[in-house]
Amino acid sequence: MRNKTTFFSLVLIIALLAMMLAACAPAQPAEPPAEQPPAEPPAQQPTEAPKEEPAAPEKPFAGTELVLASMTDQYVAAFRYLIPKFEEETGIKITLDELGYVDLYQKLTADFVGHTANYDLMTVDIVWSGEYAQNKYTLPLDDFMERDKDELQLDDIMPVAWTLGEWEGQHWAYPLAGYANVLNYRKDVFADAGLEPPKTQEELLEYAKMLTKPEEDFYGIALLGAKGPAVAQDYMVFVQQHGSSILDEQGNVAINTPKNVEVLKFFGELFKYAPPGATDYWWDQRETAFRSGNVAMMEGWSIARAGYENPDISSVVGKVDIALAPVAEGMEPKYGFGGWGIGINADSENAEAAWEFIKWLTSPEVQKDWILNDGAPIRRSTLEDPELNEKFPWFPVLLESFEKGDGDYRPRIPEYSIIQDALGTTVNAYLVGEMTAEEALEQAQAQVEAALK
Amino acid sequence: MLLSPLLIFIVVIAIYPLFFSFYISFFKYRLTDPNQTRTFLGLANYINAFKDPQVTGAIANTLIFVAGTVIVEIALGLGLALLFAAESRRTQMLRSWMLIPMALPPLVVGLVWKSLYNVDFGVIPYYLKQLGLDMGRGPLGELQWAMPAVILIDVWQWTPLIMVIFLAGLKSLPHEPYEAARVDGATRWQSFWYITLPMLKPTFLVALLLRTMQSFKVFDIIYATTGGGPGSATTVLNYHIYTVGMVFFKMGYAAALANILLIIVAALAILYIIVLERQQI
Amino acid sequence: MTPSRTERIIRVALMALAMFFFMLPIFWLMTTAFKFGREAFAIPPKWIFFDWTLKNFQEVLANSKTPRYIMNSIIVSAGATTFSLLLGVPAGYAIARSRSPLINSSSYFFLLLLMIPPIAMLIPFYLVMRDLHLLGTYAALITLDTVFDAAFVVWMMRSYFMDVPQEMEEAALVDGASPLQAFTKIALPLSVPGIVASALYCIIFSWNDFLFALMLTSPKTKTIPLGILASFSAVEISWGRMAVMSIFAIIPALIIALFLNRYFVQGLTMGAAKG
Repeated sequence: MRNKTTFFSLVLIIALLAMMLAACAPAQPAEPPAEQPPAEPPAQQPTEAPKEEPAAPEKPFAGTELVLASMTDQYVAAFRYLIPKFEEETGIKITLDELGYVDLYQKLTADFVGHTANYDLMTVDIVWSGEYAQNKYTLPLDDFMERDKDELQLDDIMPVAWTLGEWEGQHWAYPLAGYANVLNYRKDVFADAGLEPPKTQEELLEYAKMLTKPEEDFYGIALLGAKGPAVAQDYMVFVQQHGSSILDEQGNVAINTPKNVEVLKFFGELFKYAPPGATDYWWDQRETAFRSGNVAMMEGWSIARAGYENPDISSVVGKVDIALAPVAEGMEPKYGFGGWGIGINADSENAEAAWEFIKWLTSPEVQKDWILNDGAPIRRSTLEDPELNEKFPWFPVLLESFEKGDGDYRPRIPEYSIIQDALGTTVNAYLVGEMTAEEALEQAQAQVEAALK
Repeated sequence: MLLSPLLIFIVVIAIYPLFFSFYISFFKYRLTDPNQTRTFLGLANYINAFKDPQVTGAIANTLIFVAGTVIVEIALGLGLALLFAAESRRTQMLRSWMLIPMALPPLVVGLVWKSLYNVDFGVIPYYLKQLGLDMGRGPLGELQWAMPAVILIDVWQWTPLIMVIFLAGLKSLPHEPYEAARVDGATRWQSFWYITLPMLKPTFLVALLLRTMQSFKVFDIIYATTGGGPGSATTVLNYHIYTVGMVFFKMGYAAALANILLIIVAALAILYIIVLERQQI
Repeated sequence: MTPSRTERIIRVALMALAMFFFMLPIFWLMTTAFKFGREAFAIPPKWIFFDWTLKNFQEVLANSKTPRYIMNSIIVSAGATTFSLLLGVPAGYAIARSRSPLINSSSYFFLLLLMIPPIAMLIPFYLVMRDLHLLGTYAALITLDTVFDAAFVVWMMRSYFMDVPQEMEEAALVDGASPLQAFTKIALPLSVPGIVASALYCIIFSWNDFLFALMLTSPKTKTIPLGILASFSAVEISWGRMAVMSIFAIIPALIIALFLNRYFVQGLTMGAAKG
């Protein structure tokens, strides 16, 4: 019986395979992967010099489609608002793909190493600068900047903002949104207690302790404790504020120094005066805790400031002020600086159009709209703009933080993500009592060293 | 011979990658490396894996997760099957409602439970507090609670499946032994203990092995809830492989870890098949 | 031995408790979709009496990507289900009717395949797709889903065909029908319930899949689970939007559990329970 079926089954196989190919074909030519050695990855050299485009009168890039990968940070609202305007002006179409912090890093890396060029433009966290430069994930923008320097008004951009994407003299991302680490505090609570906002780290701890009233469900400070980037980054803020560093003088990774252990213990001490769930806080939840009025203080990125005055999401409208972030006693004040650059995928075929968007978005005229719609500043002219200062009375604090800003407290080196991954697990493990402070940093150091081997 | 299209498909699509995975596990192969070179390492990836506390910890966590989910689900599933065994219209309707959890995307299940567990705004810690039980950092935040909390999510989703399997098993039981037992004056508890349970043994085995295999696949709910934390309390091997391979793109090492996982699972799978074979006879 | 009154009360109480446990998260998800902003995480929790609003739905639907996510999920599920049935049903039939021990035991090969942890398959598959420049296409995702779906279909349909009486097919063969005709004209129509059950399983598997979609999709081919992740914001808790997106993600599950449960249960238990 079986033998007779041979002919029919052959016909059937062919029919099925044909159907399969037919169905796959529209997406991509999909020959079944035969047992062949995997093809060489396509040679990827970033185009050295931007092509000289003939200066077309208007809308030279009309019809170009770009995909922008954006972190779902506050400024994504500004993207949503501004992109249609840009599309109208230039005829370039931009698709916005919004991704959370962890997903963004993962998706972008996958896009780069797979050379799939799904994204033309991407928001680049300040800490990815070194990694992106070393691996040439994004296009160096220096040639563009040199060519268009007359219209860019580069001098107007705050010096510290260049750390958003600069690495060893080249620009792998262009400044997009500058954040200052500032202290947010509850004016009403501090007035009731007869306190001034803390100027030093020691005072910060002292006041956090004083203001904590667990029986009223009110806590001194909100912190980031969730395993992963959140806790690692918050810990590094305190490392900076205590005048310590994750790197030694030669630039080698030196996590487990006695000084850093001390800072970690301080960090752990602060958590006693944070809401009990804080060891699980991600940015969204820390912000929500502060906005719902359960904590007195929060060190955080300045971009969130405007949201405290929005009654739709905040219970503390009119009760919040910001101050410079406190540093350890006797330390030369330096303030944590962070934020996002915007880069062009080295594999993108639309680099010119993408650059057009960057240029437009960061121009002084558009920057005002950017700020008014939840963006964050990079230009001195924006920070000093009288109209914006009236609307956002905390801009002088920002300006001062930017002027004394330190964009390198989280080492922007190529190995940053590995350091963050190690600290993200071990610092959290310390906070929940799985390890001692010494063990935590010891293991982080070992993990980084093993990963770099 | 109708088999061949599928066999060809499987060999090309599934078996070839598995061999490829075996092959690259002997190399240092990092996609983040600009040249993406492969350096032959021999067995170094495997040796490093067993020296790496993160990996051994992840294996231990995986085994705890699997054991925890399987034991609780089988006990609870049998209980539910007995509870809902009656063939009335009401129990039939309730049973179909109970099917919902297992058809849901595990990612959604994870996210929903994450918000229920949230220590500041979540429903569960709130009511526990009302009952005088303070969860401190919350179910997902405390070292000793995180794993049970994640296991409970899996239990919620998959116990109904075990119930369904046991219901099928119960229905296939013959009536005669019960009649005989009743004549002999056995209590219902006795007939459950001495008749039902022994006769359900094949069903037990099937449920046990099926859930064991499925539990080893857990990823989505860990991704959605804890990300492997606090510390590394809920980092299961799947999640660790994902981090190594798909976040840091160390493909050689990830392939070696994946093969270790495959070996563990294959051993169990073969056990499963042997049991099935013997049942058939 | 009729159950006593207390026993019946205990029974009903336990049933109620079980239903409460299994339905509570679903109820919470459904109602959260109608709570806007801070309502979603009000303390003490609001179960029924809150400000019911459709604002979350408006926000989610105003996002032009939502229909795209849904469309992509439909394409992937339909594609994977179709191919799995085309490949798996004939193979299951062949195994069920074969007298060769080798072919018979090949069904275990498919069972083994089913048990492979997805991540172990994903790592090499990702590399192969990358070398073929197929990352981000529907084809990549559908192909990988089909591996797992088809393996299930074979296992399931084999059991099913073994229960379909062979006499009619043999009679047809005696009357001069070809084996292929015996399969398509006689065996297939008799096994429609089994095929439906298999199809439901495939649909659910592909629709619910997150890990494969996470790695193999591009911005244009993202499926609903990734849309759920995109609804989160870094600056505020956004349970309302998450709940709305999740409702789209669970519609097939609800339909199948409540209206097609007969087939679904069969699919879940048959593959597992029958040798």
